[in-house]
Amino acid sequence: MPALSPREIMDRVRALAERSGAAQAETYLEVVRFTEVRVRQREVELVRQSAIQGLGLRVFRDRRMGFMYTTDVRPQVLDEIVNRTIALAGEASPRDENKISEETAPAVLDLEIHDDSVLRMRPEDLTVLARSAEENAFAQDNRVHQTLDARCGVQSNEVYFSSTYIPYQTYRASACWLSVTAIASEGNQNRTGTFTDMKRIFADLETPERLGRKAASRAVARLGAAGVPSAKVPVIFDAEAAGDFLRGLFSAFSGAQVVEQRSFLAGKQGTQIASPLLTIVDDALTRRGLGSRPFDGEGVQSRRNVVVERGVLKRFLHTTVSARRMGVGPTGNAVRSYDSLPTAGPTNFYVDRGPDKLSKLIETVPRGLLVTDLAGFGIDVVSGEFSQQVEGTWIEGGKLTKPVEGVTVGGKLQDMLMGIDGVASDLDFRSNVSSPSIRFRELTIGGA
Amino acid sequence: MPLDQPISRRAFLRQGALLSAATLGGSLLPDLLFQRDAEGAIMGIGQELRDVLNEETVDRILVEALLRGGNFADVYAEQRFRTNIILDDGKIDSVTYGYPRGAGVRVVWRTQTGYAFSDEISYGALLDAARVASSIVKDQSPVAPIDLTARRPSPAYSLTLPVALMAETRKFDLVRRMDQAARSVDPRIVSVRVEYVDEVKDVLIGTSDGGYYIDRQYLLSVACTPTAVQGSERRSGLGTLGGRVGEDYLTRVNAEEVARKAARMAITLLTAGPAPAGAMPVVIGPGWGGVLIHESLGHASEGDGIRRGTSLLAGKLGATVASPLVRVVDDGRWPGGRGSGTIDDEGTPTQRTILVEGGGLTSYLLDKQSALLLSMRPTGNGRRMSYRERPLPRMTNTYIDRGRDDPASLFSGITKGFYAAEMGGGSVDTTSGNFNFSVREGYWIENGKITRPVRSAVLIGSSIETMQRIEGVGTDLAVEQTRGTCGKDGQMVPVGVGQPTIRFSSITVGGTAL
Repeated sequence: MPALSPREIMDRVRALAERSGAAQAETYLEVVRFTEVRVRQREVELVRQSAIQGLGLRVFRDRRMGFMYTTDVRPQVLDEIVNRTIALAGEASPRDENKISEETAPAVLDLEIHDDSVLRMRPEDLTVLARSAEENAFAQDNRVHQTLDARCGVQSNEVYFSSTYIPYQTYRASACWLSVTAIASEGNQNRTGTFTDMKRIFADLETPERLGRKAASRAVARLGAAGVPSAKVPVIFDAEAAGDFLRGLFSAFSGAQVVEQRSFLAGKQGTQIASPLLTIVDDALTRRGLGSRPFDGEGVQSRRNVVVERGVLKRFLHTTVSARRMGVGPTGNAVRSYDSLPTAGPTNFYVDRGPDKLSKLIETVPRGLLVTDLAGFGIDVVSGEFSQQVEGTWIEGGKLTKPVEGVTVGGKLQDMLMGIDGVASDLDFRSNVSSPSIRFRELTIGGA
Repeated sequence: MPLDQPISRRAFLRQGALLSAATLGGSLLPDLLFQRDAEGAIMGIGQELRDVLNEETVDRILVEALLRGGNFADVYAEQRFRTNIILDDGKIDSVTYGYPRGAGVRVVWRTQTGYAFSDEISYGALLDAARVASSIVKDQSPVAPIDLTARRPSPAYSLTLPVALMAETRKFDLVRRMDQAARSVDPRIVSVRVEYVDEVKDVLIGTSDGGYYIDRQYLLSVACTPTAVQGSERRSGLGTLGGRVGEDYLTRVNAEEVARKAARMAITLLTAGPAPAGAMPVVIGPGWGGVLIHESLGHASEGDGIRRGTSLLAGKLGATVASPLVRVVDDGRWPGGRGSGTIDDEGTPTQRTILVEGGGLTSYLLDKQSALLLSMRPTGNGRRMSYRERPLPRMTNTYIDRGRDDPASLFSGITKGFYAAEMGGGSVDTTSGNFNFSVREGYWIENGKITRPVRSAVLIGSSIETMQRIEGVGTDLAVEQTRGTCGKDGQMVPVGVGQPTIRFSSITVGGTAL
């Protein structure tokens, strides 16, 4: 059976949809190739490899929307799917904002987000790196003689998009990752430490030497951790923890959440919501950025959006529908896969770096906590409550003293953001959501 | 090579289109007729998969998979029909129909796994996958798989009319009724989101130990999230429906009351004060409170961490891991349970496993690979998110069994404590045993009584230590089957959790009030 090309699939589907009564149609097709190798105790534990192809079709008719996705792209199946989707759309409620983006085809940008070399990587090549990362974790400290595993993977995505207004556009993006979780043991105590790096370009990855050693150091640093009494003290989130915190905070900035009153930031646009030290940016155009792409999941051109500028909430981030519902222009934040409807998501979403070194933020804390790990779920963006299990290091007299675990950190997000009194310079993009270390003037520690 | 003709799927899709068109036109065709037709269209369970992957072709794929050796290999194919309806702002925002399908081949050699998959279900694609998966094995001789025979383990449950096969108009009606019920509770309810998902999943599994299985699995999940606003305070409630259930379930549960209850939760929380911070006596309510056991001991008992020696429960069979009042069960055959099934995703029949008896650890949860490495028998806990993933040892429906205490009596004697009425999600580090789970709806306990509501907070503990602090176990066991999705290594699977009301001498509460 001759396979159709992505372009043929999309042309066929969209033409049929428009012929069959859809006023507007949008197709999103993704081809993903990936390979991942995991090594544990010097042996390859998993090789996982494959190629995925999937198609999503969104149709609009009489201000109603229907959506369908499939991994089965044989022509006769596609024909059935189009009919089915159009029928489904008829069941939805009409909404004025329901139409696809009318932006025309965006300019072609070279964001350097695809590394052709990843397509040539064999499992053996990845094994070498994973093994090396694990070896270096073992070499770092004699209390590390196990790992949960070391992982190395590569992925190459092709995205094809077409709509009633944008005939056809495409881009390719790659990702490579290297990660190791070391286990440090002392007596009966075992503690894990993970270090992960992810990049668009393979050569940009952290070396397995440094990565393995960092993971081991993190695990070792947790040995002997204990609780501390409950207290209200200054708390610093290191870059890793602050990045996790920022990821949890994202949906508070999502237009769809705001318009339905499901964000504590609803109605606060243009007001001071955070300390003047805080600036948050979402920039889809960062060269080699993990969240960079020329256009979003609805074909809207990528751009740089300042979300919070010196503590003032400048804008929310949108899909086409949520932007229309709030009566503002698009921001290019539609994130999706072929099997999901677009929702507002982060591109390269980060807290801008501040002037100080982390050590300087620590030095001026008489008694407090440096948080290095947030576990589980902590942020409730609707109520604006924060409460999370954390691990870290106690600070006494401006010095790091003992490892801490078995405690929680809590506060109201509004007070936390206003109370930021330090932003460090250690911003490092190992994820598409990143932050430098941040100091909060006072949070509540729940302990023994 | 067998012909690859998508006849019954096309019939199903066409049927769906007709069905929608007919309801739009106000047809008077009775619902029952639709249901019978829809069922008829996909009558041969797994027929589409079987057209390509019969016993003979699967056998040939397995021969290829074990050509370089290995302990065992399997072929897993699935196709799903998924309907998703989202209501927001009083409107049906979107309707989604999904049809993902594909298959994967796995080869296991001791601790090593090769896994490759394809979206294309064809003999050729799976032979390629078998070759990729087999590359994990080095320097071994070919192993011949045992000829496949169709096996039919006794079904874990049966449904007369699965909700997924109901006429679509009834699904839309359900979603709208829940929206209106939630809104009717109080004018402070400013927004309601209802998300409806149902799924029909056909799976085909062929194993190198000679098993050939076909199974059909149904799942319904409905979540209603009302949001209340008063001044600058905003709170959400949550009400859920679902499980592996039939139409009769919807006549037994009161969907409107589920929605109203969620709305009342949001209203109650508007006046909630700060939660306490620090260690104190805690009582956790029945049902979804079972998130606690899921995180505290459940994950740590999964076979992968055991066979690697990285879980804190490794080598602890027979050891005391909880208060003597505690019995923990993982039941893959709980009627209608989210985690229930006739077989797991490796073809092993599911079972009821007692994990903890009288506070002592009695069993692990094992998939085939961990069972092989531990020289034990698989417990039917090999589960996977989809054909794109290899199976991992996972929980099914996990609960702390009923005890002897009157639930009301568990509050007496607590001068200052915390009552967790409704939980959110949680997580655990199975190496250290540190775990957490969040509380959606909590209250102070003062002088033996439930008093003021408090804002959401996280509860944390250390697995064995916390389970040993159980002082009382109620008689009111409830196993929650309407929500519960467990994530592990990026794979999400539906699970049930449960417990009766339970009292702990002390748990650390992560509030802000000192």
